[in-house]
Amino acid sequence: MASVIAADNPGAAVLLMGNEAVARGAIEAGIGVASAYPGSPTSEILPAIADVSGERDIYVEWSTNEKVALEVAAASSFAGIRSLAVMKQNGLNVALDFLVNLNMTGIGEGGMVVFVSDDPGAMTSGNEQDSRMAAKWFDNPLLEPENAHEAKEMVAWAFEFSESVNLPVIVRGVTRLCYTRGNVVLGDLPAGMRKKARFSDVWDMYNPTKSKFTATPSPVAHRLLHEKFEKAREILENAPFNRYSGPDNPELLIIATGVSAAYSAEAVDVLHLKERVGLLKMGALWPLPKKTILQWLSRTKNVLFVEEMDAFMEGSVMELWAGAGLHDGGIRFHGKCSGHFPPCNEQGADLVIKALTDILKIEHQLIDADYKREAAEYMRLVPNRPINMCAGCPHRATYWAIKNAIALDGRNGFVCGDIGCYAMGFGPPGFFQARTMHAMGSGTGVANGFGHLGRFGFDQPVIALSGDSTFYHAALPALVNAVYNRSNFTLLILDNGATAMTGFQPHPGTGVLATGEPAPVVDMEALCRATGAEVMVCDPFNLTETTQAILTMMKKNAGVRVIIMRHLCQLVKVKRKIAPRYSMRVEPEKCIGESCGCDRLCTRVFGCPGLMWDSRAGKAMIDEAICVGCGLCADVCPAGAIRKEEVH
Amino acid sequence: MSGTKRGSRNLLEDVLKAGLCTGCGACVTGCPYMAIHEGRIVVLDRCTIEDGDCWRHCPRTPTDVSGFSEKTQGVPFDFLEPGAIIAVEMVRSVDAAVREKGQDGGVVTALLAFALDEGMIDSVVCSKKDAGGAPHGFVARTARELLECAGSSYEAAFTLEAFRKIPAGNADRLAVVGVGCQMEALAKMKAAAPVNGGNPQNVQLTVGLFCGWALRSDIFRPLLEEICDTSRIVKFDIPHSPGTSFDVYTKDAGKISIPLDDIRPAINPACQYCWDMTAEFADISAGSAGSSFHGWNTVITRTPRGAGLMKRAVAAGIIEIQPLPESRMTKLKASALNRKKNALRNLARKSGTREDLGYISGLPAGLVDALLKD
Ligand SMILES: Cc1cc2nc3c(=O)[nH]c(=O)nc-3n(C[C@H](O)[C@H](O)[C@H](O)COP(=O)(O)OP(=O)(O)OC[C@H]3O[C@@H](n4cnc5c(N)ncnc54)[C@H](O)[C@@H]3O)c2cc1C
Ligand code: SF4
Ligand code: SF4
Repeated sequence: MASVIAADNPGAAVLLMGNEAVARGAIEAGIGVASAYPGSPTSEILPAIADVSGERDIYVEWSTNEKVALEVAAASSFAGIRSLAVMKQNGLNVALDFLVNLNMTGIGEGGMVVFVSDDPGAMTSGNEQDSRMAAKWFDNPLLEPENAHEAKEMVAWAFEFSESVNLPVIVRGVTRLCYTRGNVVLGDLPAGMRKKARFSDVWDMYNPTKSKFTATPSPVAHRLLHEKFEKAREILENAPFNRYSGPDNPELLIIATGVSAAYSAEAVDVLHLKERVGLLKMGALWPLPKKTILQWLSRTKNVLFVEEMDAFMEGSVMELWAGAGLHDGGIRFHGKCSGHFPPCNEQGADLVIKALTDILKIEHQLIDADYKREAAEYMRLVPNRPINMCAGCPHRATYWAIKNAIALDGRNGFVCGDIGCYAMGFGPPGFFQARTMHAMGSGTGVANGFGHLGRFGFDQPVIALSGDSTFYHAALPALVNAVYNRSNFTLLILDNGATAMTGFQPHPGTGVLATGEPAPVVDMEALCRATGAEVMVCDPFNLTETTQAILTMMKKNAGVRVIIMRHLCQLVKVKRKIAPRYSMRVEPEKCIGESCGCDRLCTRVFGCPGLMWDSRAGKAMIDEAICVGCGLCADVCPAGAIRKEEVH
Repeated sequence: MSGTKRGSRNLLEDVLKAGLCTGCGACVTGCPYMAIHEGRIVVLDRCTIEDGDCWRHCPRTPTDVSGFSEKTQGVPFDFLEPGAIIAVEMVRSVDAAVREKGQDGGVVTALLAFALDEGMIDSVVCSKKDAGGAPHGFVARTARELLECAGSSYEAAFTLEAFRKIPAGNADRLAVVGVGCQMEALAKMKAAAPVNGGNPQNVQLTVGLFCGWALRSDIFRPLLEEICDTSRIVKFDIPHSPGTSFDVYTKDAGKISIPLDDIRPAINPACQYCWDMTAEFADISAGSAGSSFHGWNTVITRTPRGAGLMKRAVAAGIIEIQPLPESRMTKLKASALNRKKNALRNLARKSGTREDLGYISGLPAGLVDALLKD
């Protein structure tokens, strides 16, 4: 069945997830290239485009990291073909070094959109950040959609905008936008032949930025950038994404960006404040459309800013107001500055309601008592699911071996963790082993540094972790650095055959492209060997052998040692319909449970969700619905009570 | 009898981290939270049991020594004497082949082989040296296997690990060979059987070894590897004269003597807190200290059970006996008492007060002060 993303049915309203709407917008704009590195909450955009890449003639790729993704997309724009690069907030940081040069050089004749999603509340991330700050920091146009439909419209529009100002355009999403479904009215699909890609060979004296993509001489390029920026501002003054609704002279003006506009509208509605409060919904944010904003500021005495994460609009508008010399206007500003919104976590209509009742001194019972009681009752029905690795997850096996190896080694060794499912290793699923975690590849980078502290008396063995995809993304330079600079640590590459955390996207080691077509395998083992590191490969499910291998490598205490922990992600096994290996059961007579000699090792410490503790019987049980028959717990049970039988 | 109820968390703090672990091997078997690695007990993870076997049986958790003596030896405890004594004699194996393989007079091996032979016991928990000469707990079921275990290793052998590995329900009647701390742990197991593994009720005979100290493998092994090919080691010895060398016998190089002082850094620091030179909680204890001649053991027969075995072994022509000269006896007693004083002194220094002697409790009031007055 053809994907709805590419349905040629203009005017039809379809239900799309925000991420799909972004994909659709890019397709309507006729992009030729889409590139991304997987990262929730944006991971679904590229696959949606990949699904129709054949019929729409679009080149898609999972790049090894976001900087490369951005570079791949930029080349296409340089050659006149529209391009989309997609990343999450952390990815933008990786790509920034290219982006801060790209806006200086311009993007050529093919429009370019960089879709970046932030993750307020860090629901799928290790950090919280407001990516919009980047736009202000290095002068890059910025848009922020309110809902799925606007996301589609805005992305499509952004390509033209990009071309008219010769700059990449950042479209900022948030998790709520990316993962919420909404009605999207489809537009026209591009028709006719795609234009030929061509990198201009003409040295245009009068318009060098169109044919030359270097930012030198920088002062000139920087001046040109600011000229383009003023042009961009003019365009945004009239962009269709900034709208006002409310009285002509509102008692209070809400300035809300992106999804916050929807929360704000809801709050105004709930409090019946349409006659008193105005809402300036902003989607075209940067360069700041000064005229539009000043026009509304001059009509009110109270402003409330509502936006996800930092005080981006709030600060910018206050600067504008101060600079415009309108102080006598006597406006009171509210938002993060007044403490009505926290500078972190997700916001919502509730917070807006609270702010409005406080500022306008109105009574409102936020949640009535009955509702509260009912909600609490429902909450009781929701099972408490602590974060955990899946049943059958090879990371649990690896961490078990690491934990035991570190204890046996006895020199207070520790783990420098990294980004991926195995980041959970800081808590119970990884037996509290991961002790540092920052950016992609940082486990290896930080381990590099520890490896040189021996001269200051540091004598603890260091283990760095890297996922397979993370390895290609950013750990490889750190590994090369480590070998070159003669650092001292053991790197464990957790090769589970997929970018598991974000949805099993392929990577250079998997032999598969974003489109599902076969690809050459970039041999991780050979790559590591080529650096000069000592390399071995283990299956973490052989617990004893793996523990011994880690121990041996730790003990070497010189140079860089690499162990590739190779075992397929359990969910990939399920996707590939690989049948469970064992059928598992607990023999209750043998289970010694809470007594000395076990103390519920399997359910209390090992913690595979496929095991349950029957507190009434005082015995462990297999949860048939969750157990995937990996057999690992049978090797962990000290009483031989967990039996595994090979399934034929 | 044993004092407090605790678990592995306390074992970690109060014994392992406190530098008191002797390497007896009592705690580790049957516990998934502990392991032996390179001569150390390692705690692998957090156990929440608050009344654990590990704590109950460790010889370095609070022990009411006089209570134990009465229970295991059937006689009141006299801290000033080297345990219960029926006889102290010089003894050796009649069989020259056993003497040759044995450490001193081969008495331990000879007696146990005899006990197996006459059917007093079915198997012996002892210690066997691996290809590199490192000791491990082992269960010998035949005289031949026993002979393979003859000869001392001076490293802590964790022998009781093997004892605890014998499944509950196994009906073998057992003898256990070990140094003082191991006899103490075994006595604790007899007082309160382990929850899983090890059958102290089946122990028919305990043979103690005199012990001055044991070595820590993690320090001793690298030293040893420097001086010889450890796979060629035949025997270790610390000859009484001149009393300053540690001898390693190898297949190719014969005897290699190392100054004892070079070995001392590898002595388990925990041994300075040990009061029990002659393995007082055994049925029979054997050493060489005190004996007049090379190739003879000094043997203390402590219990009627031990005495009966000695008597039958002499009658069967397995061992031969000479009286121990009075002067030697005096010397043996003096060094055993000296050991106790040292242990008390070191424990008092560790805690900072004579009121707190760490794991030792139950000593008569005034005794400690009297012993430590000089
Ligand atoms: C660590 C250690 C320190 C000792 N220190 C002294 C001392 O200071 N003064 C003294 O007079 N005697 C000491 N001995 C005892 C002495 O070495 C002999 O074991 C004893 O004299 C018996 O001699 P044998 O010829 O009858 O032994 P054998 O017939 O050779 O039998 C020795 C038995 O000891 C067991 N064994 C060997 N190594 C160990 C070990 N590390 N731990 C537990 N069991 C082991 C063997 O399994 C064997 O069954 C020590 C023994 C050990 C193990
Ligand atoms: S199944 Fe095994 S590990 Fe789990 S509680 Fe029972 S004895 Fe302990
Ligand atoms: S002395 Fe024995 S029981 Fe105590 S911790 Fe050491 S090995 Fe375990």
